Amino acid sequence: MMDGLELLKKDWQKKEEHLPKLSYNELYTMIWKKSSSIVKWILIISILEFTLPHLLYLLPGITESMNIYDKLGIKNISSGLWVFSYLVVIYFIFQFYKRYKEISILDNSKELMHKIIKTRKTIKYYVIFSLSMLFFTCMVITVGMYLNDNLIEVFSQNGQKTTDIKPEKLKMIMVGGMAIFSVVFVAVMGGVYFLLYGLLLRKLNKNYKELQQLEV
Amino acid sequence: MNKELEHQFVTELENNQNIVHKVCTLYTNDRDSHKDLFQEITIQLWKAYPKFRGESKFSTWMYRVALNTAITLYRKSKRTIKTQDYESVIFKIKADEYDETEEQQLRLMYKAVKQLGDIDKALVFLYLEDKDYNEISETLGITEVNARVKMNRIKTKLRTILNP
Repeated sequence: MMDGLELLKKDWQKKEEHLPKLSYNELYTMIWKKSSSIVKWILIISILEFTLPHLLYLLPGITESMNIYDKLGIKNISSGLWVFSYLVVIYFIFQFYKRYKEISILDNSKELMHKIIKTRKTIKYYVIFSLSMLFFTCMVITVGMYLNDNLIEVFSQNGQKTTDIKPEKLKMIMVGGMAIFSVVFVAVMGGVYFLLYGLLLRKLNKNYKELQQLEV
Repeated sequence: MNKELEHQFVTELENNQNIVHKVCTLYTNDRDSHKDLFQEITIQLWKAYPKFRGESKFSTWMYRVALNTAITLYRKSKRTIKTQDYESVIFKIKADEYDETEEQQLRLMYKAVKQLGDIDKALVFLYLEDKDYNEISETLGITEVNARVKMNRIKTKLRTILNP
């Protein structure tokens, strides 16, 4: 039997005439369409990840609730955290931009995949950092709540009495609730993140591994 | 971008569009996905065109961009696969051109190649396009020796698919 692949090669080269043929005008309109490549999606999602948490501060309700830090007596810690986290975010944006610029379709496939994975890793570290910061902030609030003696007053508006539950018990419920909320919130955000990139890069990761295995 | 560059690019693409169509044929299973991938490759080619300095042939340069798009940048759409419907158009074989067993064999081969992974497909594609191992290795970023080893493995794999 003739080598199957040789047979295929002979046939493959005859196939040219059966391929679709697009006109000049069809091709011309195509070059102005929007790309939907993985790299484009990584860029869009990453910009959202960088900006969304900061846009939250623009909402009037959120800034008002920041007064809680003051009332809880943890204003200094939270301001310090705030400055620190902005410095780190700027560093990450710079790193991300550098990586993104390095990606070139003209590299060989392995190099191209490697650079995309590196870019994603920068984002991954950023997300791990912001989730840790979020968790830490939540914990600071929880501890602040625990150490505060007038907790009920801080949260109830105009000093109105909200429930008949004993203050001690109410405090424990609030502190416990805050702690549980922190853990669940961070876990859910992390889950969404890994699902998002996991799905986006599944094919690329698989192909990259295949190329890597060749070198062993 | 200036008009002249646009015109130059589209003309080159029009003359060499077969390469892109062949990549799309291998990597997609229905007409809509074929169009999708063709579109994405065209965009990537156009974006990279200002960096094309004519050091290599336009067609050589196209292979790299087209394959990189297919195996790295393109997100497979989750469309229902209508393989038969599509293949009967793309791989239209005139009955009198072949004797029956050869036609049957070819059909099986195309089906087998379609079942390969993305990287294997890229190797087969470059092989079918008569590229040498040096070019294959440079396009994919593996050594020439590894390209040969991998190609031999694919040949064995295809043989077992054909003769289980």
